[in-house]
Amino acid sequence: MEAGSVNVVLDGTQPALALRGLVKRFDAKLAVAGVDLDVPTGSFYGLLGPNGAGKTTCLSMAVGLLRPSQGRAHVLGHDVWTDPVEAKRRLGVLPDSVRMFDRLSGPELLAYQGLLRGMPPAQIDARSRELLDVLGLADAGRTLVVDYSAGMKKKIGLACALLHAPRLLVLDEPFESVDPVAGSLIRDILHRYVEGGGTVIFSSHVMEVVEKICSHVAILADGRIKAVGTLNEVRAGRDLEDVFVQVVGGRVATGEELTWL
Amino acid sequence: MAVIPSRPVSITVFVRLKLRMLGHGLRGERRRVIAFAISLGVGLWLAVTGFVLFGVSGAVRHDIGYLMAAFGGAALVLGWLLLPLLFFGVDETLDPARFALLPLPRRTLAAGMLAGAMVGVPGLATALAMLGLAVAGGLRAGPAGAGVALLGGGLNLLLCIVLSRAVTSGFAAMLRSRRVRDLAGVVIALLAASMGPLQLVISSMVGHASLAPVLRVARVLGWTPLAAGFVAPYDLADGRPLAVPVRLGIVAVTVALLAWWWAVTLESAMLGAAGAPAGSRPVRGGVVRALLPAVLRPVRAGQFAAIAARELRYWSRDPRRRSSLISIIVGGAVVPVALRLTPGHSPGVPLPLAVAFTSVAGAAILANQFGFDGTAYAAHLLAAVPGRVELRGRAAALSVIMVPVLLVIVVAVAVFGDEDGQLVPTLGTAAAMYGASIAVASVLSVLIAYPVPDTRNAFASAGGSASAKGLLAFVGMVVAVVSASPVLAAALVLPGALAWVVLAAGLAWGLGLVLVTTRLVGDELDRRGPELLAAVTLRV
Repeated sequence: MEAGSVNVVLDGTQPALALRGLVKRFDAKLAVAGVDLDVPTGSFYGLLGPNGAGKTTCLSMAVGLLRPSQGRAHVLGHDVWTDPVEAKRRLGVLPDSVRMFDRLSGPELLAYQGLLRGMPPAQIDARSRELLDVLGLADAGRTLVVDYSAGMKKKIGLACALLHAPRLLVLDEPFESVDPVAGSLIRDILHRYVEGGGTVIFSSHVMEVVEKICSHVAILADGRIKAVGTLNEVRAGRDLEDVFVQVVGGRVATGEELTWL
Repeated sequence: MAVIPSRPVSITVFVRLKLRMLGHGLRGERRRVIAFAISLGVGLWLAVTGFVLFGVSGAVRHDIGYLMAAFGGAALVLGWLLLPLLFFGVDETLDPARFALLPLPRRTLAAGMLAGAMVGVPGLATALAMLGLAVAGGLRAGPAGAGVALLGGGLNLLLCIVLSRAVTSGFAAMLRSRRVRDLAGVVIALLAASMGPLQLVISSMVGHASLAPVLRVARVLGWTPLAAGFVAPYDLADGRPLAVPVRLGIVAVTVALLAWWWAVTLESAMLGAAGAPAGSRPVRGGVVRALLPAVLRPVRAGQFAAIAARELRYWSRDPRRRSSLISIIVGGAVVPVALRLTPGHSPGVPLPLAVAFTSVAGAAILANQFGFDGTAYAAHLLAAVPGRVELRGRAAALSVIMVPVLLVIVVAVAVFGDEDGQLVPTLGTAAAMYGASIAVASVLSVLIAYPVPDTRNAFASAGGSASAKGLLAFVGMVVAVVSASPVLAAALVLPGALAWVVLAAGLAWGLGLVLVTTRLVGDELDRRGPELLAAVTLRV
């Protein structure tokens, strides 16, 4: 299936995120080898891929953290690399491989994000209090984020990404190292966000989560999009895991070896 | 099934365990053998030095010998107190947590661990050094003196060991927490940074040759557990034999109290349980108010205030930044003093030049400001913070700390050096140099950033290019001095009547350089944000 042909535009407007021919070369290694992707406004998009497929590299180029060797990225019509201020205003990001300013407390970190985004202080205070309450981080008080558990760090990162009410959320591995309770809380928040007209794209390698919550799916392997479309199109009546394994290729069963097990 | 009846465990088990561990230090991995050999060598060297020093204290003048015994003894005990705090885990063999699963009565465990601690390089080295005390005691007051010295030294050795054990297990839970380890880092930085000033103070004291105040301190020390056991022989020599049991009693009671406290805390140390997380008080008022410190509240709450506030918090909360800040401040205070207080009452370096290092170094700390942030800088990139706001916010935060420090140092050096007349133009020079240094550091920080590894991970290393880039900070300091040289020249040449002109010119020069440079480099930063992020990302 060709990537450009899946312009499933839900409400007739431009895609929330459009990637065109993104390529990233690290010295000799080709990490992302030409990715085209349209994330329709209002969709809940899952970017699937095995470890090392280039998911983080791809998303980093899409949000302006990593300069692509070639290609463009548009957020709601604004080029991330030539019109960064307008693009980034509409964008909320939860990076995975990146540290936070973790020697601030949770509330301080939220206030920091809000002020960096140019929000009025009263609005920052009101929204932060709600976010901290909903995410169950209000009890952490003045504990520094560096002392948070992994799940709490994800939650405060998500709160930071949501604070300025962006129209597009880009989340790198939002469900990694999150316990089931926090996981369903995050899912619920994201659902609410999409119902309110927002768009989410997140990377994951957990099939169950993607199958449960996504409207659209793209499978990335070896720096290329191998399958893309609505969840039902990609599944085509099969199990998503089977499709994934078949598309990515790789060994899933043992043969003659390990008989001593 | 019946539980196997257990024999009481003898203390010698612990001693043999410790001996075996020491023996293993001589075999196995080469690195470990070398480390053990080094510790053995250092221990032997310290033991012999201590022995000689304590021994000599019996042969020199009476009051000097008293000083040596009191201060040497106190230093020894303090060393035993502090070293385990700094290097927790040096003596892992007998980490109480390792015995948690064994059914041992507390008393056996405590006695055994004490005996185990005694058998080891530090314990034996201290014991050897204490023998020097006996020699000195014999020289001062005959065989009785030697006996008292042996008893006092033995008690103090016991005190050393109980103290270090009690400290490690009493604070084991605390030492596992990040806050306390950060604090220990600050203590190390302070100690290291104060080596220079301490040397100055000592040499000036030796020069002025007035022992009376020092002797008074020593006499007080002699009645504390730190030194009581060490000075006991002098009571015999001075004809006050009744004071001997009192002094020894002080040490013995301290040992008993510490041993009791240690036995109590041993159990919690074995569990390795950290207490309730600190500082989980709820936040009152708005979150923005929580972020912005009082100094920044008059500023409009926006990107500039946010960055300045976060930087201010980081200068106190990030251990790497905190220790560089402390060393820079201490160094900045010492250098002008050293330059001005040359021996022989020669005029020394002119005041404006003497504070040049202080002003320039104070801002050069920003030369790799993005390296300290590491990947956290991504948050600024995602929020599209304008480069000039970024650089100015950071400069402002450092200035909130540095400008008062500079002011105090310059005023103090001028006033105590009887150069009040030079104060005003010197302040002008300092302002120009500080501004120039911020400007240069801003350029360096954007163009030549490199990652700074987290201190807590010994395996992370920034590699060779980092140190080469770090050297550029020194080149930058020279450039800063040169670019502020017109003001410096004016301060040195112009007559005193024009002092205020020099001050105004220096302030304008410094501020102007900062504003112009942060604007130019800020625009460059807007263009190369992603490249800067890549430069400060530690590759693993």
